[in-house]
Amino acid sequence: MIKYMLAKEKDIPGGTAALFFSFSAIMWFIIGTGLGSFNAAKLAFPDWFTHSYALQFGHMRQVHVMAVIFGWITGAFAASAMYVVPALGNTKLWSEKLGVWNCMMWNVGMAVGLSSLWFGMTSGREYSDFIWPIDLYIAFVMVTPLFVNIFMSIVTRRTQGIYTTNWFFAASFFMLIIVFLIGNIPEFFHLTGLNEAYMTWWFAHNVLGLLITPVAAAITYYIVPKVTGNPLYSHRVGHLHFWSIVVFYSTPAAHHLMSSPLPEWLKSFASVEGVLILVPAVAYVCNILLTMQGRWSMFVENIEIKYTITGVLLAIPLNMQGGFQQTRAINWYVHGTGWIVAHAHLALLGFSTFAEAAAVYYGIQTLTRRKLYSLSLANFHFWMLLIGFSLYWVSMTIAGLIQGAGKIYEVPYMDVVIAEHPYMIVRWLGGTLVFIGNWVWLYNMYMTVKAGEKLSVGVQPQDVAYAR
Amino acid sequence: MANYFPLFDGLKLKNPLQTMSDDAKVKEAQHIWEHESLGGIAENNNPLPRPVVGLLVLTFLTAMAWTFPLFGQRPTAAIYVDYITLMHSAPIQAILNDTSLTSMQADEKAMTSIEKALAQFPSKYEFQRIQHPVTMDDLRIMEDAVVELQNQPGIDLEEYSIIGSHVSMANFVGNWKADGTRTRKQPWWDKGYMTSVVWFLSFCVIIVITVKRLPPITWKPDHSIAH
Repeated sequence: MIKYMLAKEKDIPGGTAALFFSFSAIMWFIIGTGLGSFNAAKLAFPDWFTHSYALQFGHMRQVHVMAVIFGWITGAFAASAMYVVPALGNTKLWSEKLGVWNCMMWNVGMAVGLSSLWFGMTSGREYSDFIWPIDLYIAFVMVTPLFVNIFMSIVTRRTQGIYTTNWFFAASFFMLIIVFLIGNIPEFFHLTGLNEAYMTWWFAHNVLGLLITPVAAAITYYIVPKVTGNPLYSHRVGHLHFWSIVVFYSTPAAHHLMSSPLPEWLKSFASVEGVLILVPAVAYVCNILLTMQGRWSMFVENIEIKYTITGVLLAIPLNMQGGFQQTRAINWYVHGTGWIVAHAHLALLGFSTFAEAAAVYYGIQTLTRRKLYSLSLANFHFWMLLIGFSLYWVSMTIAGLIQGAGKIYEVPYMDVVIAEHPYMIVRWLGGTLVFIGNWVWLYNMYMTVKAGEKLSVGVQPQDVAYAR
Repeated sequence: MANYFPLFDGLKLKNPLQTMSDDAKVKEAQHIWEHESLGGIAENNNPLPRPVVGLLVLTFLTAMAWTFPLFGQRPTAAIYVDYITLMHSAPIQAILNDTSLTSMQADEKAMTSIEKALAQFPSKYEFQRIQHPVTMDDLRIMEDAVVELQNQPGIDLEEYSIIGSHVSMANFVGNWKADGTRTRKQPWWDKGYMTSVVWFLSFCVIIVITVKRLPPITWKPDHSIAH
């Protein structure tokens, strides 16, 4: 990487930044899921590993969350954008050198940010846990160069039209800068009380709503038509999806605070908009699944489609849960329980991660012009991820319902802890399967770059991936 | 206007259900659509399937119905003022202090008397009181806070919600006026619902203009030209 950071732009091969981001993202995924597995073990076996203050759950939880959101997910988004955006504009990435620097500074930022959390330096606000210097670093040193590179690649495209995927990439990375700067206002100006609570959840909601969900969708808009060879079912439904995300997903932050004394009108408005999140969700799922017409066999035969469509199918329960769990009646029951933890993992480890894994698989093969090293290992990784995620999601959903009942019926806390103990063990098992699968994935990707069979000119990876 | 808002460039309203672009714009869009390859990806011009349109309409109706005040909106402090006034009256205090009754019996008897007395007088809070019944213990918890607020000038108890053991201002809208009151006040049945309807309708107008700028749905692009 150092070699390319110091090289001239013309000497850096196309796709270098995307490749660096891909491997960085996988590394952060391994670190993030490793920490997740460790944390889950502490919840399943509370007497385990209690002697180190720095490794207590209170420290480690934020490190896990930030490692997966900004190391894995956003890193994989950057990797995807850096090869998909130029491909869709029939051009090159605006600056490979900026991309390589961006990747290096991204990793430095993550290492410093996570270390600071580990040492107990935290804002204390869920999802915006970093202290303000790290927030500013993320906004200006990590995300702004990424946005500039992607935006300028779109500006300098050699096509007249802009494909749906690129609307989402450009808008989401721009919004991420805004979300970071506005959402962390309580940190910059020491807001307290309801203002602090509202801004904190505005940040948390929009990191998901204006970055993770739309960019994961953007990836699937690329992978499905590209790999199946089918045209996207509908350009105009893409419009409906994009603009309804902007209008309905940016407004419901208050639905995270339904039990707070925020103005009732704001909570009602947020709750209505929260249900209306189903508008973009329905439009999106419908558009992608209808694009698969006539090519459904690829769902079992093709690894990229297998990942992508699994992610899209997981978007259905994700949005059904998300739309309704925030309404007053259901929120009363599930708020503050493991149900919400399960839902968050459905979004990040389910829908989003499956889409990004597809993009990284496809990107590494396309950029290096090499065939996947081992399809068996890729399938093994898929099933470890799917089984691990499913165990996690189902066990935490059940644990959440038990906690909800305990909360409403005022069951003694220790009784609830005992009742949910088996589900905490299943959660740990599920997370650990994902962690193990990720090591296999890293090995497979490394071997693809090092020893994958070279593709001849004019052949796409998906054309030969299953030829043995 | 088209110079500043490309959305209105070539806009025509002759046949808005088909397309809102003039013929030249439609031809230009069709030419780009068919002659340009976006990284090897093509797009079709299909409409949303009709059952899905129905599903979206149902989604909006569900959103409005599910979040209506009947389903969980918190009670305002104002609906309990009369309860607390009666609670402090001599006949109710006599019941509460009657040593021949257990505390539970006294509470139940006092609450029955209060509700009987309230039923004698029409109130604009009748419906909300049915939605949010209280016990004597609830009244004891909120009593001090409500009385304290009542003694402050310019306080509108309809702006205050009962949240657990707290009475908090959580029902307001609009800015302060010089006399200490609010510029606006929403009725109890409209806490953000009109805002939601206006927001949704604005979205519908904008999205219809956006997608109806495209060529009509009857036109099927020929992908063999660019691919």
